[in-house]
Amino acid sequence: MRAVLRARPHSRRIFLQLPKVNHLLTVEGVTKRFKSRAVLEDASFSVRAGEVLGVIGPNGAGKTTLLECVAGLMPANSGVVRFRDQPLPSRRRTEALFYLPDGIVPWAEQRVKWVLQFFEKLYRRSDLNAAALMAPLRLDELMQARISSLSKGERKRVLLALGLLTSQPLLLLDEPFDGLDLRQTRDVMTLLKQHTEGGRALMLSIHQLIDAGRVCDRLVLLSAGRVVGEGNLAELRALANLPEGGVEEIFLALT
Amino acid sequence: MRSPSFTTLVAKEGRELMASRAFWLLLLMIGPLVGQSFITAVGHYAEASGINGGPAALPAALTPLDGILVQTLGVYDLAATLLLPFVAIRLIAAEKENGGIKLLLQLPGSLSAKVSAKALVLFTGWLVSLLPAVLAMTLWKSYGGHLYAPETVNLLLGHFVRAALSAAVAVAAAAIAESAASAAIVTLGFTVGAWVLDFVATGRGGWLQQLAMYTPTVALRNFEQGLLRVSTLVVIAAFSIAGFALAVIWLHTGRTFINRCLASLTTIAVVAIVSLGGASLRTSWDTSENRRNSFSRADEAALRQVHAPLHITVFLAPEDPRLTDLEQNVLKRLRRVLPRVDVDYAANSRSGLFESSADHYGEIWYEMGGQRAMDRSTIEQVVLEQVYKLAGIKTPEPDGDNAFSGYPLAARPRWAGLIFYGLWPLVTLFIWWWMRR
Repeated sequence: MRAVLRARPHSRRIFLQLPKVNHLLTVEGVTKRFKSRAVLEDASFSVRAGEVLGVIGPNGAGKTTLLECVAGLMPANSGVVRFRDQPLPSRRRTEALFYLPDGIVPWAEQRVKWVLQFFEKLYRRSDLNAAALMAPLRLDELMQARISSLSKGERKRVLLALGLLTSQPLLLLDEPFDGLDLRQTRDVMTLLKQHTEGGRALMLSIHQLIDAGRVCDRLVLLSAGRVVGEGNLAELRALANLPEGGVEEIFLALT
Repeated sequence: MRSPSFTTLVAKEGRELMASRAFWLLLLMIGPLVGQSFITAVGHYAEASGINGGPAALPAALTPLDGILVQTLGVYDLAATLLLPFVAIRLIAAEKENGGIKLLLQLPGSLSAKVSAKALVLFTGWLVSLLPAVLAMTLWKSYGGHLYAPETVNLLLGHFVRAALSAAVAVAAAAIAESAASAAIVTLGFTVGAWVLDFVATGRGGWLQQLAMYTPTVALRNFEQGLLRVSTLVVIAAFSIAGFALAVIWLHTGRTFINRCLASLTTIAVVAIVSLGGASLRTSWDTSENRRNSFSRADEAALRQVHAPLHITVFLAPEDPRLTDLEQNVLKRLRRVLPRVDVDYAANSRSGLFESSADHYGEIWYEMGGQRAMDRSTIEQVVLEQVYKLAGIKTPEPDGDNAFSGYPLAARPRWAGLIFYGLWPLVTLFIWWWMRR
């Protein structure tokens, strides 16, 4: 199995021989254009079982578009998505993954308690229920509130709970820390890491590079719609020819 | 993955409907509107029945279907046109605008099941809104009024079918349009378009009039006359299902624009074929107690012996009341009995005011089996005699089975004001508050 590391657009590609890894989802050559404007260009990467994969990039890099194309909510112009090495057509994506968008206010007039129960009823997970998420996401005081009355951070915590209650092997989260304060961010990071212990994979779109470095096992660097690097910190440092440095330095070097 | 229980989706849509201000506004307004219509109708009916000591009108003309039911339920035509579409649009557009649709699309279960759940809840909500009509009918019975079950049920069915079409158009518009406002404009555009079609096609004949028979207003008019036509049910059901099918196609954001357009065209083609087939179905039932859509049983038995097609050429303008008489009292009934009736509307103008006898104005030509006859009368028995003569059938003896005695009732609308103007709004507001708290 080869892990593909990509350098700057139109530059070199580095192929490293790595031990066989368990690829849960493979995305190959996804391109998305809005009329003549290319938002994603030949994006390829993979997600492994039990890992937290971060998709990082500046605003407008195409992170949300990438997640929506992978989730099957937006048609891509080209590209293939494979789940456990089998092609996964758009209409069957929900069998493998669940995507939690950023900035949505679903079912605004409903109470938090009901929305959580709705997801519990739909997914009926034996290993996780809403009660188990109360403490880590501090949902207790929100249970009787309507979704529309929640602050941005409160809504984010409720939405994260909904995402975690789903049962697909892969969970895509768009900007999971947006709106959270420092303490909440750390708590959610811990919760997400724990969540992968059962083998579930997380794919996070993050624009805060420091957050990404803390929580993600591997990173996909997206710039102007192109994947310019994929791997863990060490692999990305090697790609960027940096002897040391964090995600920010790597990102600046590669984009 | 395990399929979710459909009831979970229905319960979710039910809660969304209960949270919809548009729905509560519909409920709040429908009670007083029905009340106003009912009180007015009972008053007029009582006057016609001689409540003030005056002479009663012709008793046979006093039918609760015309005098009470059609008047009272007429409000639902208005509600289906101007209120229900906003409830339907809200069920779709709210989720599109707040992003909830992105979650909904990923929930277990097919998108068809999710839209079906919305449709089921919407129709249940419409049935709830029919409660004031049920109250009005209960009051009418309590005054000693008469209701004939087949024509009452048929009229309620008509309003349900009419609402289904409105809801389907609104749901499709909400799924296709970018915003709720655009969807509302599209829906109202459809309504206005249907009115224009209805106006333009009246008395014109041909495919345009055939098409206009399935506009919401004309379709409902059949039910209001106590006529239950299978063709109307099939065509309106096909249009309604198409609306919800288009919603399924356009809500699926993962499909390309071209793909959705092709799927929409396929749906429209299928509906067109089903509608053409449905429109050719001649089966119908006259559910009215006074058999207003039927000839006498003796005439119907005689006409069933006629197998040749009847061709009629009418030189009467669409706005000429004689044409209306001919349509309502003769042609509508002939179409139900004879295997084939073709009508040419040959007048040159819309009003007929400036047409002369040289233009054959006022003539009605009948042609059957190579024989022709002309008459100017629009009276049922005169027309039937022409048909019998052309068909070579002896005119049957009158059997007197159409003797409808009517149901005069000089009642005052007791309690109706209190119930519809007072209790209904209060109860509606209380339930809304109780559910919101």
